[in-house]
Amino acid sequence: MKRRLLVAAGVAAALTGVAACGSDSSSDDNKKESKAPGASAPAAGNGKTVRVWLMKGSAPDDYIAALKTKFEADHPGAKLDVQIQQWNGIGQKITGALASNDAPDVVEAGNTQIAQYGASGGLKDLSSKVNELGGKDWLTGLSDPGKVDGKTYGIPFYAANRVVIYNKDLFAKAGITTPPKTRAEWLDVTTRLNTGDQQGIYLPGQNWYFYSGLLKDEGAEIATKSGSAWKANLDGAPAVAAAGFYKQLQALGKAAKDGDEKTQPEVLAADGGKIAQFIAVPGEAETIIKSNPALKDKFGFFPIPGKDASKAGATLTGGSDLMVPEASKNQDLAYDVIKLINSDEWQSKLAQATKQLPNKTTLASAVTADPGGAAMMEGAKNGFATPNSPNWASVEENNPIKAYLTKVMTGGDPAAAGKEANGSIEKTLNTKN
Amino acid sequence: MSASKADAVVATPTQPPRKQAPSGARRASKPPRKPSGIVKSVTPYLLVAPAILGIAFLLFYPVVRNVMLSFQHYRFKQLISRSADYVGWENYQAVFKDDEFWEVTRRTFYFTAINVVAIMVISTLCALMLMKLGKTMRIVVLIGLVAAWATPVIAATTIFKWLFRSDNGVVNWALVKLGFDYEGYTWFAHGTSTLTVVTLLIVWQSIPFATLTLYAGLTTVSTDVYESARLDGAGPVRIFSSITFPILRPIFALVTSLEVIWIFKSFAQIWAIAGENGPINDVRTLPVYAYQQGMSLKLFDMAGAISTITVLILVVMLVFYFRQMFKQEREADK
Repeated sequence: MKRRLLVAAGVAAALTGVAACGSDSSSDDNKKESKAPGASAPAAGNGKTVRVWLMKGSAPDDYIAALKTKFEADHPGAKLDVQIQQWNGIGQKITGALASNDAPDVVEAGNTQIAQYGASGGLKDLSSKVNELGGKDWLTGLSDPGKVDGKTYGIPFYAANRVVIYNKDLFAKAGITTPPKTRAEWLDVTTRLNTGDQQGIYLPGQNWYFYSGLLKDEGAEIATKSGSAWKANLDGAPAVAAAGFYKQLQALGKAAKDGDEKTQPEVLAADGGKIAQFIAVPGEAETIIKSNPALKDKFGFFPIPGKDASKAGATLTGGSDLMVPEASKNQDLAYDVIKLINSDEWQSKLAQATKQLPNKTTLASAVTADPGGAAMMEGAKNGFATPNSPNWASVEENNPIKAYLTKVMTGGDPAAAGKEANGSIEKTLNTKN
Repeated sequence: MSASKADAVVATPTQPPRKQAPSGARRASKPPRKPSGIVKSVTPYLLVAPAILGIAFLLFYPVVRNVMLSFQHYRFKQLISRSADYVGWENYQAVFKDDEFWEVTRRTFYFTAINVVAIMVISTLCALMLMKLGKTMRIVVLIGLVAAWATPVIAATTIFKWLFRSDNGVVNWALVKLGFDYEGYTWFAHGTSTLTVVTLLIVWQSIPFATLTLYAGLTTVSTDVYESARLDGAGPVRIFSSITFPILRPIFALVTSLEVIWIFKSFAQIWAIAGENGPINDVRTLPVYAYQQGMSLKLFDMAGAISTITVLILVVMLVFYFRQMFKQEREADK
């Protein structure tokens, strides 16, 4: 078995070498130039088109237009073609692109997804560029998941974590002047807001991002590695406590116990001011206001309350990284695009435009003036990432935590449901590739 | 595979028209042409070639590829590098050692059995009812059946998902109105209730085909037989068990075997209902399990092994079945 794996790895390495040679021939002149002294000189354009896949909602149109103008001015003759991708089914689309001969040159992917692509051999190793890009200041919630076996495949793009967004009018009407700081206060406030046809909180039963934060506050993580094997922790006392709090809070609203947060923006936009709170990244407030302008200026933000007032609740760092497929035909130009997006100027611009966190801790001032950004920074201090395994993306693809949460929300035994989910998570994480 | 056999079976109760048709066709094609030897012998092959090529490309190639995959170590890494080693029976051994596989296989058999029995019973009753209905009602029922049959699978599945929603589903609303305690009941929280909904959906989707086929069979049985049975004092149950069923046995057999195939391989309904937010691990059948291993977990080799096993199980079941059927037919002919 072991020898076979070695052979397979060898063949894989040899083949990727062949593939790389194949794709290099078209950009030979770029190679020479970038190897010349002063390696940071921009790669030549020569009528090439750099294709970039960005996810829907990652960057506003005028930002993309400005980026295009700047890049094309720096690289005469080159064209930047930014293609916006939908989140739905993106995993399979990226997989297909990495396996093809005609991959895009830069691809954005969720931070929890990078490791599997990196481990597959389909991504260019960017470890040598980390220093030049100022990698020591990157948010670890973005840069750590971008690594496999110490090699960097994902360059942090932006981060976002979940906060509580509340309706300022409803809080004022209920006489609540300061946002809750502890779980107990939060339950109390939410109970007071949950009257008549007004919902204290809109919290779908399957928001596993929120749940994993609660779990972290109880001192456990979804899965931990001991030795070479992963162990999932959804059946212990911390998991039961976290699920218990989730259930209590979830019951103070009318969101479905068997749904996730995907349709939340539509629900909130159609709501007309009857939902007092919901949990989301601050940028979602903008999306909602865009489809229902009547809600403009109604939303306030506070970090997810912790167990006690000393610190905010832990939050899973969400966000995106940028990666260069091994099959890209313009890898040098691709790197130049990433370098531009990674620069302080363009990171700050992006953060201000989208209310997301920039990829470096040193740039935090770009968002703290904004109330949503401030709440997010507060939560980010206590941020954490999903289990660092190339197989984690597979767990999310078929997420057993959702079914587990629904079972608990509908009165199932949390320990039994947790054990079942553990089995599924462990099996996936411990599968050898 | 079953097309030619299916023709033969369907033809049994309606022999006269079938005998006429081919002779008529032969007569029509005979006089005008006088092709030379080679052209004459090659033409039929040329004519079927496009169809054969199409089938080979769309069916045989994927099947062969799938079987090959099941003997390779083929995962995400191999997909990217496009090279994989043959590992013999390793994947099959891994599948058979896994308790999960046996649990899923058992569920697939139970699920198929329950669905097929329900479909056959309800369809038979519907077909018998159609025979008794007056013209107007019969047309109304037929239109209903065809409409149910014409609804695309995913559309029907989405509608069922909405019907059974926990927060604003029509089913919960109706049950509450009828006095049951189903306020906010979450159908898709547990394996059993989810499978119940899937079963309702699949049975509903299958009934039109089964009913219409059985009804077509029923219309071919001569009314004289029934009349004389009735004169001899046979009740409806006796008539069905001693006359209708024996005469239409081949049609019942055909519909049952087609339904077994259809249910055993049903995927879209289960995946669309429980794949994203439901308890998929509690409701998955073999095809869903194969898809999950391949597309979600990127274990393409395991998916290949599981789907190959699934096909083999079906083939074994149906071969056994067809042998039984032909034996009976031969005996009946003697």
